[in-house]
Amino acid sequence: MACTVRVASPLRSYTAGAASVDAVGHDIAAVLADLDTNYRGIRFRMIDEHDRIRPHIRLYVNHDAVTSLQQAVHPGDTLHLICALSGG
Amino acid sequence: MAMTATEKQRYARHLSLAEIGAAGQSRLKNSKVVVIGAGGLGSPSALYLAAAGVGKLALVDYDVVDLSNLQRQVLFTNADVAQSKVAAAAKRLAALNPDIEVVAHDLQLTADNILDTLREYDVVIDGTDRVSTRYLINDACVILGKPLVSAAIHRFEGQALTYLPERGPCYRCLFPNAKDGQVPNCADAGVLGVLPGVMGSIQATEAIKLILGIGELLTGRLLTYDALTTRFDEFTVARRTDCAVCGEHPTILTPQDAVPKSKTTAAQRALISHSTPRQLQLRLGSAAESTTPILLVDVREPHEFERGHLAGCVNVPIGELAARMDELVASLSGSSRGRSSRPDVVFVCRSGGRSLQACEMAVGARLTAVPINLDGGLLAWARDVDPEFVVAPV
Repeated sequence: MACTVRVASPLRSYTAGAASVDAVGHDIAAVLADLDTNYRGIRFRMIDEHDRIRPHIRLYVNHDAVTSLQQAVHPGDTLHLICALSGG
Repeated sequence: MAMTATEKQRYARHLSLAEIGAAGQSRLKNSKVVVIGAGGLGSPSALYLAAAGVGKLALVDYDVVDLSNLQRQVLFTNADVAQSKVAAAAKRLAALNPDIEVVAHDLQLTADNILDTLREYDVVIDGTDRVSTRYLINDACVILGKPLVSAAIHRFEGQALTYLPERGPCYRCLFPNAKDGQVPNCADAGVLGVLPGVMGSIQATEAIKLILGIGELLTGRLLTYDALTTRFDEFTVARRTDCAVCGEHPTILTPQDAVPKSKTTAAQRALISHSTPRQLQLRLGSAAESTTPILLVDVREPHEFERGHLAGCVNVPIGELAARMDELVASLSGSSRGRSSRPDVVFVCRSGGRSLQACEMAVGARLTAVPINLDGGLLAWARDVDPEFVVAPV
């Protein structure tokens, strides 16, 4: 059930600089929980205390926007973690 | 108006393109574009727009050229260091193409001046380096009905999105709300010098296509570029019906300053005191005997704080500072008990930028008489005081 997670630049301090990591889970919530097991603290940067995606974060499975943490993830899918950037 | 012989020669490669030709070149000549931020993104954008023959090209910035800018801000040379950015840029662009009009707006955009500044232009290009300014520009463009080409960069990653009024999502549809402290900038995190060259060129391309009415724009599509893996991706972005500025029931009807900085007067900013790492070390060493206690406030994000912080520091991320000002006031009251005076408040962050912003907020909120900024931040502390100190990446 492994999927690929592509990590936004501001979150790579959690993944030792890796742009892409693997995670397992049948839905977004499970994938993020697995991600947090391996990269402690990364989930909280994206999801708030009320299990809502933070407003400066976007998640996409392949190219579909994630609107619910219960959205299904299939083996071979790619979860993209996208952060607002401010540099100019 | 017919093109001169010089113009025909200058724009020969455009005139050869069926998609541009003489009619398109004339459209470019009659167009007005404003580039906000004469930095990494604004440099290539402005250079290519000037070269392309955009008739009126304006630049907005209030900064001066720093030597550290030259690694990526290709508008400038060594001779421009310490000069006004927009003045130096205007000179460079006029030298590149003397047939166009270049306008230098040497000012900081605020809610009070942004509508008047942007009103006359056909296309707005956002190359700023602060997320609160991005929202200010986005909101102004939605209110004015102006197309906006946004891009942003961080380390090796870039993003771009084009807003077309009434026809696509705006920046707030993409990211409804972000605070300056949540979104690191290049000063804190660093950036590959050539990255803004790629993204700024994409912005110029979008503006030119928009003026010419050709091709497909990045409307409703977020383009991302990872320079480390040489990978472009794009993601669909839909308009949000609940968007605060372009949604069905907008709550933002006029531009708003999100950052208290813009409301801080020069006189108030003069109240901020500055400390080098060594001065702070001496002050902390003598804190027990001092009649004026000291409160250290680290305004970095929690994950940075956890990796290493100064002893006795309170962690209040910059994005939460305004909301938690009362908590700090209570801390000050508590820690001044038994002492003759209220504590001095020293703000610290990674490189000194976020902490300076915190000082300005503290002045505005009258938190303390004289907030102190640790200049150079913890990176300077590690360099000058404690080489073992771990400064977490952003």
